[in-house]
Amino acid sequence: MKDKKFLYIPKIEKGIVIDHIPAGFGAKILEIIQSDDLMKDIIVTLGLNYKSTKLGRKDMIKLKVDDLTPPMVQHISLICPGVTIKKISDYAVEKKVTVRSPREVRDRLECRNPNCITNYEHHMETCFRMENESNQTYRCIYCERVFQLDELRPLIR
Amino acid sequence: MKRDLISMDDLSAGDIREYLELAEQVERIPHADKGSRLLGRILMVMFFEPSTRTRLSFESAMCRLGGSVIGFSESMITSVAKGESVVDTIHTVENYADIIVIRHPKEGTARLASEISYLPVINAGDGTNQHPSQTLLDLYTIKKFFGKINGLRIAFVGDLKYSRTVHSLIQALLKFPRQNFLLVSPETLRLPEYLMRDDEDAATFSETTGIEEALSTCDLIYMTRIQKERFPDLVEYEKVKDSYCIDTGMLEHAPDSLRILHPLPRVNEISYSVDRTTYAGYFQQVRNGLFMRQAILLKLLGESI
Repeated sequence: MKDKKFLYIPKIEKGIVIDHIPAGFGAKILEIIQSDDLMKDIIVTLGLNYKSTKLGRKDMIKLKVDDLTPPMVQHISLICPGVTIKKISDYAVEKKVTVRSPREVRDRLECRNPNCITNYEHHMETCFRMENESNQTYRCIYCERVFQLDELRPLIR
Repeated sequence: MKRDLISMDDLSAGDIREYLELAEQVERIPHADKGSRLLGRILMVMFFEPSTRTRLSFESAMCRLGGSVIGFSESMITSVAKGESVVDTIHTVENYADIIVIRHPKEGTARLASEISYLPVINAGDGTNQHPSQTLLDLYTIKKFFGKINGLRIAFVGDLKYSRTVHSLIQALLKFPRQNFLLVSPETLRLPEYLMRDDEDAATFSETTGIEEALSTCDLIYMTRIQKERFPDLVEYEKVKDSYCIDTGMLEHAPDSLRILHPLPRVNEISYSVDRTTYAGYFQQVRNGLFMRQAILLKLLGESI
């Protein structure tokens, strides 16, 4: 069965596989990866809507690249906690990590409190710390307000 | 490593006990005998918002320990009026003093100041967020009146939605077990849900809109002013502004041990006639503020009493 599935998306000799992406999020993750200039020209395979016992349907991405940068992994963990990132070497899994929601998110999200100093002081870094993992709530370390992760918009300078 | 006082969230129950013990020691020693503890040290007072008690009590605390005070209480007379950033202002003033106390209308400013400055920073109020020296002096006052800060039935009355002193004091009290809170407020000014931690060992919360139960069943009433400046809609303010006012008549059947605290300024929540009764604890609260702020200055400057 396993081999049959891989007929749809070729095995890679060396690179990175991002698996267990909830269906519909594959394109979003690819967008994050390709927003990095160094990733613009790499070879990518994007698979959508595979059957998954855990998720029902899932997406998958294979990249011909040595590694993902830590900020990239952090960004993916914000959008899709639970995805697995596998490092492939000689067609075998060399390393596998399951991405968890980050404990701390630095300079990626904008605080929704209009009276927070981060929205006034020029070029000030923002920082949110996880308040509750199961509720996906984060606290701004400056104004101390707590937000749902999906309420927080990306920081645009 | 330098120490700051930014948020009650940063303090453990042990840290709070240390502050309370230090304030007690400070109070025991007459002013004349501690007048040179901070000799040669300078407190920088940066008040971007109006204040009477907090600023003056920090200044008095510093002067009575032998230190000096410089600073401003009106940001429009500084370069901030020319558009200078908080970061640049801090980097400038830190060259002139040994410790900074800051009040700013934007939430998080004191945290930012503490991150960028090599001096200890004290938060004297950041918007509606934190005012830790007020919370510590409130705790000290409760300790002095009752000999403890838990196992009491405490009523919080008035604006429980916007009052940072109430939020901060509740969060601090929740670090100690067996709290019993009665929340008295108009429907529109209820305490935010996230502050009501549903943990029976730590605290029980009950809510009401009438003040009568507080007067007859509580050890302590913590009154607050309905803060006009926090209301986006003044019509809403007019509806609730006179919701609670304690006078001596209402206190006729109150237990003798009841004490009333108020972070001040008051508008008309407590009648002036109450000032002469044994129930009034708010002026002692102000006095305790001086001892607690001396304790804070000593602790952050690494000095003992």
